[in-house]
Amino acid sequence: MVKTSEKVEELIDPLLFHDRPWVTIVWDDPVNLMTYVTYVFITLFGYSKERAHELMLQVHNEGKAVVSSGRREEMERDVQRLHEFGLWATLQRDDQ
Amino acid sequence: MTDPSGFLRHGHDSFEATFSASEREVLVNLSEQLLEILGERVDDLYTDPLAAMVGITGYNTPPDDDVLLRLLPNAYADQVDSAEFRRYTESGLREKKRISALAIRSHLLNSPSGEESKVVINHESAQAWLGGLNDIRLALGVRLNVEENSRDQLELLAPDDPMRGVYAVFNWLGWLQESLLLALMDDVED
Repeated sequence: MVKTSEKVEELIDPLLFHDRPWVTIVWDDPVNLMTYVTYVFITLFGYSKERAHELMLQVHNEGKAVVSSGRREEMERDVQRLHEFGLWATLQRDDQ
Repeated sequence: MTDPSGFLRHGHDSFEATFSASEREVLVNLSEQLLEILGERVDDLYTDPLAAMVGITGYNTPPDDDVLLRLLPNAYADQVDSAEFRRYTESGLREKKRISALAIRSHLLNSPSGEESKVVINHESAQAWLGGLNDIRLALGVRLNVEENSRDQLELLAPDDPMRGVYAVFNWLGWLQESLLLALMDDVED
């Protein structure tokens, strides 16, 4: 048996959320150096020193930060490159 | 530690560090261990040989080993999406990390041996060193369980605890990585 509410959600989900972008999230971890995380944001995304530092602090203080957003394929590429650098990153549909 | 400065920039595209014989040996060993960890998975999943040629593998489950899972993490919270992503990307990610570990190993082994070895690398190699040093630190961090153990707890490890030496190396590599980062940051505009 399927609960009605779930079924309805399944049906409207693609309609409602089709245009929502995907986001790449970097999660805090106890090993990566703060300087390193900042450096990776600068080299990978071309962020300014200031913006990269801000994002790094957000990861550090809040446990995670959205570092890029866009199409799913683009976010998969970002996550792949962040993993190459050893950062803990995932992608998901923007829930904001 | 022989050289308290770690990596220093010399000129536009050159970064130098001096290692003692024991530091060199430790770092060569660690890069070899990393290469071993990153070697083919033993879970013996079938991989289509044709698919393997283009980097697609049968690996659609996360690695069992905690160290390997940290080095090759899941890309999605969702298991199905994560598995699909892993099939297409894990082999490339593993190869990239192997190349970094190999670079560290060969730079050290090709540096003149003796009481001190000087390693000189360019900007491109510095990226491999950064990534490789970071992977080694990630691996040691899992073994030291830095997630659960506080810095204070690790500082207070008993002198005969084998993890005490691991923690010392972990800190040394963090310091070395930081020195390279500071040298590289000179290039970055504000």
